[in-house]
Amino acid sequence: MPPRDSVNALPFANSAEAGHSAKASQIEREVMELFEQFRDPVLRYALSFGISVHDAEEVIQEVFLSLFRHLQLRRSRKNLRGWIFRVAHNLALKQLYANQRSYKTTSDRTIAEEPFDPTPNPEEQMSSAQRRHRLLAVVHALPETDQGCLRLRAEGLPYREIAAVLGMSLGGVSISLTRSLARLIRADGR
Amino acid sequence: MPSKDIHLSDQEMLLAADGELSTDGAAQVHSHLAECWACRARMAEIEETIADFARAHRHTLDPQLPPIAGPRALLRAQLAELASEHDSNSWRRLLHFTSATRAAAFLCAAVLIATVVGGISVRRSTLRRANSIVAAFERGALPDRRLTPGATRSVAISDVCAVAHEEVVEEVSTPLRQEVFREYGIVNAHPDDYEVDYLIAPGLGGAEDIHNLWPEPYTSRTWNAHVKDALEERLHEMVCGGELDLSTAQRDIATDWIAAYKKYFHTDRPLALHSRLESIKSASALM
Repeated sequence: MPPRDSVNALPFANSAEAGHSAKASQIEREVMELFEQFRDPVLRYALSFGISVHDAEEVIQEVFLSLFRHLQLRRSRKNLRGWIFRVAHNLALKQLYANQRSYKTTSDRTIAEEPFDPTPNPEEQMSSAQRRHRLLAVVHALPETDQGCLRLRAEGLPYREIAAVLGMSLGGVSISLTRSLARLIRADGR
Repeated sequence: MPSKDIHLSDQEMLLAADGELSTDGAAQVHSHLAECWACRARMAEIEETIADFARAHRHTLDPQLPPIAGPRALLRAQLAELASEHDSNSWRRLLHFTSATRAAAFLCAAVLIATVVGGISVRRSTLRRANSIVAAFERGALPDRRLTPGATRSVAISDVCAVAHEEVVEEVSTPLRQEVFREYGIVNAHPDDYEVDYLIAPGLGGAEDIHNLWPEPYTSRTWNAHVKDALEERLHEMVCGGELDLSTAQRDIATDWIAAYKKYFHTDRPLALHSRLESIKSASALM
């Protein structure tokens, strides 16, 4: 399994449940620390929706500005990582719908650049690039929800957080990941 | 529940790996795994697959991730602004100047001074400001004058002043952008690495002409796009207020916009509000 961050490792996550005296400067510092920690994973997640880098960066800015407001309003500090991914998920989707006519998805482009045979061929010694393309092509063919589960898992989120981000039950996430992984293993010709 | 004879399901293995089984359930899974070679192999296969996917996922997306420095500076600047807006709502607190509010007070003072001196509009959308701050990174502060001397379109002052400066945003067409890149010898330009900017802003009668456009890399220096935006707004205000000829404004900004900034803001350095990124830039030794 990929390494995953302990929720307890979130800076300040547990420090001030009753942060009534939280000052803007303290919240700013806190948001910047969370940004350092999660910018790349959340940006990757936003990009995986197929929006442009520019749009994804804007989504991320909006996520962390919303986080600032969220903390300033003294809302729940429970599982801020899940909160960040959930807001990013919603904003990226919104952006995707807004752009849907003008953009072709990144993953489409990436995969389309290099033609390859998606059926496993045991005789062939696959290069790592070919394997990568094959895996991504299989993932790309999965239902949206299954893709979301896998991508969040790849960013190190445990099942419970994935369930919260995607609004699914724990069992639903588990079934989805089990199904997707079985498909990936089959496609890999193992 | 698993026994020696019944193999574990993939789902059981995944839940166990994620710590989502009850203590008893997890113990049974672990003892089964210890004894069952087939399930251990399956478990390894699952783990390897998800690790492979995570690697493939990153390998595909990581090259697209721009460096964090620009977005970090942008977020910091926007947060400072949000915080100062919040504090200015309760500005009475600033009169006390306690150590805790000193920083916020300084920001508010900077906002006030700059508003008076520069007539800066803070009405611009967050998005546009965001773009200009990001654009402030990795830029050549001045264009090559041989390639970009500046070009204007025939326009009446009444047209220029009919709309607020910040509302005049004109996207440069893709073929023209490509031409600008070719002219500056930039091959394989990634759209996110550069912003093609107007030397004389459209709001000051600047034309969408290759002689009025140059590619700005996304890095910041002291004299960045944010600062130039402030100058454009200042010039627009002066032209529309009858304090300055449009042609003088156009000439000054095209000749050397940094000198023009110094002249019209009576300063040798960008005002704090116009280049909040300065300290960050110095720290990252980009200057």
